[in-house]
Amino acid sequence: MNHDAEHVQKPAIAHLIWWFLFAQGGVIAAILLPVHILVQGILGPLGIVQVVDRHYDTWANVIGNPIVKLYLLVLIAFPFFHFAHRLRYLLVDLGVPAARSIPAQVIFYGGAIVVTLVTIWVLLTTVPIG
Amino acid sequence: MTPGWWLRQRHYFLYIVREFTALPLALWLLWLLFEIHRAAGGPKAFYASGSPAFIAFSVVCLGFALYHSYTFLSLAGVIINIKVAGKPVPSRLIVLSQFAAWAIASLVIAAALIGFAR
Repeated sequence: MNHDAEHVQKPAIAHLIWWFLFAQGGVIAAILLPVHILVQGILGPLGIVQVVDRHYDTWANVIGNPIVKLYLLVLIAFPFFHFAHRLRYLLVDLGVPAARSIPAQVIFYGGAIVVTLVTIWVLLTTVPIG
Repeated sequence: MTPGWWLRQRHYFLYIVREFTALPLALWLLWLLFEIHRAAGGPKAFYASGSPAFIAFSVVCLGFALYHSYTFLSLAGVIINIKVAGKPVPSRLIVLSQFAAWAIASLVIAAALIGFAR
């Protein structure tokens, strides 16, 4: 990390963005994710309740909706910025100092950006709007 | 730091578990993305995941997800400082509001996932 006085302004803004994404991703994962896992991952497959993603008709009907697409983008993409940060520091904590390096940051946060782009592509190409 | 330092104290271990929750949650979201993408092939190509292995995977992920929610929403009381009429809102109240938001969001999402199945 660069703490030179003349560079203070720029890294501060970059940090603000990454911290916003980290915090936002953490909140979204905390509030939205458990119920998706419970309903879509456990109750639906076990046949305890009818779930929208069990049949093509209902699933395609829902994921063709632009508001649902936006929701799914938020649900999937934001948490990856949180995960990227956590996993990078997990490696540091477990004794991999290389996880602090710039290449490691590019891989982890770049990975989150790639997941975001893939999610946008999947949402736009699967049951396209209109 | 020596290898395995995090295994020596319960507190350190739980800290590492909290950081680790990111991995199973990331994998589950990638599965969800895959489930969405599967609908691209049309009704004949589509199938819903339902194998015992997938359900077991989800059960494990749910455990980590609940731990992430519990630890992350509890932290909000430390991070968020709001003043109402010049007085700071007690952190217990802030944490309570976070857990209430979690409960309400869960009910709404469950209702949507089940309601739109008809």
